[in-house]
Amino acid sequence: MKVIRRTILDKAFTAITALPVVLLVAALLVILTPMLWRGAGAVLFEGTVEWRKMQLAEFGHGDEAGIRAEADQAQAARAAVYEMIDKFKSGVDAEQLTDRAKEIYRGFGKELQRKDMPREQYTMLRSLSREIRDKLETAFSSSDIGQIRELTNDVLQYETDDRFKGTIAREFFQLAREYRKAAATVNLNKRSEYARDLAELEQIIREMFGPRPTEESPALAQFRYGATRWDQAQDLLFRLLWKEEWVEKQPGQPLVKIAASRKEQFAETELKGMFDLVENNLGRMLNPKWTFYWRYFTDDSTPGHYFGGIGPEILGTLILTILSMAFVVPLGLISAAYLTERTHEGPVIRIIRMCINTLAGVPSIVFGLFGMAFFVLFFLPLFGAPSKPCILAGSLTLAVLTLPVMIRSSEEAIRTVPQTYKEASLALGASKFRTFVTVTLPVALPGILTGVILSLSRVAGETAPILFTAGIAVGPVPKSLLQTTRTLSYGSWDMAVADKLAALVPHNQYGMVVTLVLLILCLNALAIVIRSRVLKRLKGH
Amino acid sequence: MLSSTGRALKDSDGKPGSIQGSKEERVSGSIMATRSTEKHHSSVIKAEHFSFYYGSKMGVKDITMEIYARTVTAIIGPSGCGKSTFLRSINRINDLIPNTRVEGRMLVNGQDVYDKRVHLVNLRQQVGMVFQKPNPFPKSVFDNTAYGPRLQGINRRGDLQRIVEESLRAAALWDEVKDDLKKSALALSGGQQQRLCIARALATKPNVLLMDEPCSALDPIATGKIEDLIDALRNDYTIVIVTHNMQQAARVSERTAFFCLGELIEYDSTVKIFRNPGKKQTEDYVTGRFG
Repeated sequence: MKVIRRTILDKAFTAITALPVVLLVAALLVILTPMLWRGAGAVLFEGTVEWRKMQLAEFGHGDEAGIRAEADQAQAARAAVYEMIDKFKSGVDAEQLTDRAKEIYRGFGKELQRKDMPREQYTMLRSLSREIRDKLETAFSSSDIGQIRELTNDVLQYETDDRFKGTIAREFFQLAREYRKAAATVNLNKRSEYARDLAELEQIIREMFGPRPTEESPALAQFRYGATRWDQAQDLLFRLLWKEEWVEKQPGQPLVKIAASRKEQFAETELKGMFDLVENNLGRMLNPKWTFYWRYFTDDSTPGHYFGGIGPEILGTLILTILSMAFVVPLGLISAAYLTERTHEGPVIRIIRMCINTLAGVPSIVFGLFGMAFFVLFFLPLFGAPSKPCILAGSLTLAVLTLPVMIRSSEEAIRTVPQTYKEASLALGASKFRTFVTVTLPVALPGILTGVILSLSRVAGETAPILFTAGIAVGPVPKSLLQTTRTLSYGSWDMAVADKLAALVPHNQYGMVVTLVLLILCLNALAIVIRSRVLKRLKGH
Repeated sequence: MLSSTGRALKDSDGKPGSIQGSKEERVSGSIMATRSTEKHHSSVIKAEHFSFYYGSKMGVKDITMEIYARTVTAIIGPSGCGKSTFLRSINRINDLIPNTRVEGRMLVNGQDVYDKRVHLVNLRQQVGMVFQKPNPFPKSVFDNTAYGPRLQGINRRGDLQRIVEESLRAAALWDEVKDDLKKSALALSGGQQQRLCIARALATKPNVLLMDEPCSALDPIATGKIEDLIDALRNDYTIVIVTHNMQQAARVSERTAFFCLGELIEYDSTVKIFRNPGKKQTEDYVTGRFG
């Protein structure tokens, strides 16, 4: 009985102690799984023809002829959409039509000036064309179909007039005829509403398919292409089909968001077929293909983090980490040796140790400010280097940040080396230094490597210390250690707080974070492998 | 066979040195060919009113004794009597402990080891030490044995190989490890490790070998092997062995010193200490009435 109770108690104790570990693992999984999932979207996704066009034009990757052919096919599929929009627009968009009429009027005026003709004939034609223009403008802004017919008929009377034959003015009549046709199909009372929504629709179509082939290419790369990813295209399709509206369901209640069908809204118009056309043929218009974008890890990005990869970020993180390790490992080892190998534990050592312990708890932003004040503003100019943030200053700051960790773990490691080893070496006539280098250090190496792993992870993931000393969000790839660099941690931070673009490319943000986590994991795995090999050698198997 | 390799070891030592690194001949210059009852009575180690303090606590006090060349001298006594302290003062390995202080003189080969001019490296190369727990370095058997010679600046592969083989043969370990000198020393058994430590100490060609309870961590068979080894080395080295085991002291040593509470109570030939001790305390201890 007693034994059973003891066993149960024992098991309960084990369960209770295991619980926090299980909770921790579960929490980690809950946090990491969606992150990994979304981060994977940066590398593995359904890329559209727009994505391939972008890769070809911005990064030079891909088969040019194939992509051109694909783009032409997609463009052919889209043509019907553009046609429908243009047709509808000619009946609705008073502003555009008015502009067109003004343009024709001006063009005609110039044409007349070039022709050598009598003064009064010129004045007459000029005033006649002005009259036509004004009539058209009135018709364009009218919502009475009778008035529109009357006005357009008036204008079309002049079509047979010889004076307008062969001039630019004949476009007036074409415009009038088209408008009359379009106006007949449109609910003119809703015209202003249509015009507003049409602008929105056009914007969505532009985001989906990119600028029309006839338009000139925008200066900013992010506007040069349509939806590069199929999931983006799906979102845009939803926005195309459904209009977000805020309605007051009950007076005094907060407004409620509803999705109103645009198909119904445009049901009576020329545009009614477009929604089904896009919905059913979006695949042909964008041609999504599963894409494994391994170049994500090597490509630069343009503009900002909109397109492309995170190659410079990975490079910057590695350079900063390795360089700061190069500073911190020897420094940490020497300090640890000084602290442990002294036989006399005086007040100086105690004070130093207290300082180290305090430094280990200082927030990293303080180190960042220190790095700027000391390394950037004071230390670098001392050697004639420009007093600007740079990789060197950043890695030195990171080294200072992680020095306490390194010292403490090395100290522990050195302390755990059995005294008997040191005695044996000293008894054979070795000096203290020789003993430290040939006996203590190799035996302490696994523990020291643990310190290196800890420091490495900390350095690779820190943002605050490089804020003012080395990091930039967007900029060139550094060519020397005296230039700033992009890093994964800084990039993630910048995307999260400062960059509006991040909302448009969440996959990139997650991709960066996941890459950082994986990079640290890889570096750690490497260090752990080295440590286990050292341990194996020490144990003699 | 063993003693002859031991002699070869001595013969190959071309550069005699003192602990001050001068050209002075070692005291034990000549080689004693056979083990005989007739002993050299030249002293290698000589303590003169030697006291050792840990801070204010006394380790040993006012020890005066001579340890003779090519003799196995056992130091026995109850725990905490200062026998290890005394032994560890001879090669100054006690210096590792902070806040220690000595009085009197401790002469090795005629030199006071606590003299400021003494070069610790030279001292420790002449006075080898074997510790209580086998403590080979976590390196290969070869590297362990070659550690001392390398410190002396011997780096030629051939020389090192010769010294390693001689030392391992002298420590009766060669036949067991000759096939795999690259093997880690930690893979050896406890007894083998201890013999490796002896080989490592012998490789620096000392003339004194200090053994601090070398068998206390070993089983009886390994202990027997170490004792055989001590027996084989007695003609070439001056051995000082601290032991808790009185039978062992009786078996291996020619002279025995009995320490109690930091003082040297009696120091005489082993036969006399165990058969016919001069002091009551000694008699009580060796007959097992106390301690």
